[in-house]
Amino acid sequence: MRGEGLNFPPQIVTDDAELLERIRSGAPDDFAEIVRRHQARVFSILHRYERDAQRVEDLAQETFLKAWRALNQFDGRAPFEHWISRIAVRTALDHLRREKNRRNEIGLDDLGQDALDWLRTGDEKSELDSRSAAELLDLAMNELSPTDRVVLTMQEIEGRSGKEIAEAIGSTGLAVRVRAVRARAKLKKVLEKLMAK
Amino acid sequence: MNDKKLNQLFESARKEIFPAPAEDFPADVLRAIRREPQIIAPSTISLFDQLNVLFPRIALAAAAIILLCIAADYGVTAAGTPSLSDGAAQLSAQQLLPSEPFSL
Repeated sequence: MRGEGLNFPPQIVTDDAELLERIRSGAPDDFAEIVRRHQARVFSILHRYERDAQRVEDLAQETFLKAWRALNQFDGRAPFEHWISRIAVRTALDHLRREKNRRNEIGLDDLGQDALDWLRTGDEKSELDSRSAAELLDLAMNELSPTDRVVLTMQEIEGRSGKEIAEAIGSTGLAVRVRAVRARAKLKKVLEKLMAK
Repeated sequence: MNDKKLNQLFESARKEIFPAPAEDFPADVLRAIRREPQIIAPSTISLFDQLNVLFPRIALAAAAIILLCIAADYGVTAAGTPSLSDGAAQLSAQQLLPSEPFSL
């Protein structure tokens, strides 16, 4: 490996492909630049599935390590951003599967007053702040299967296409559409259950 | 919970701003990478490595050829054409065990 200090690339390389080529031909420190370019995207994906900042960071590191290990498999046909996003989604999916056995019960104690008020009000015009909305969704989506949660998050929050979701979870477009409809119906039931509590 | 309210919930969640990654995060990743085995540059892959990768395919092709030969042998035998082994057996029988033995 090149040097023990954290030396970042001395010259600016604008293209991901060029940077990856340099990494492959023996400049592993240049991977830090790849991380810097794509970390915001990876963190934003992972944050949808894990609220704890420290855990998000651990998952992001896991994502980049997986990318590093599989770097020779990246053929450059699609942008690196798409590839790393898929790895992030799969890392999140694995994380949700591991966590599923640990937290099955949902409780209103974890929710703020704003979310509870919004949930119980019949006024459709009342708005919920983004943080409370994300917390409420996080709580309710814990009741869904990990794959249902990923499908619904990618479709409804990230606005991804059926094809993108299918590629990320290793399924077909039709299966994703069916799963999304069922997951949405289930989420509505979970929220209704919360309203009734 | 109607669809409108659910969509509103998704819409609000979409606007959430994420905490920025720590400034030294790329350096942390690099440290973790240094503990990993190095990736192999494509130019350093030897002929032996390539053969090693191709081995399952070569083995499969060899097995297919052997099966094809056995099938062809059965086919030829079933058609009544004497096979090479039959011919050899017949020849050795004629030479080593003649129908009229040599008289002394």
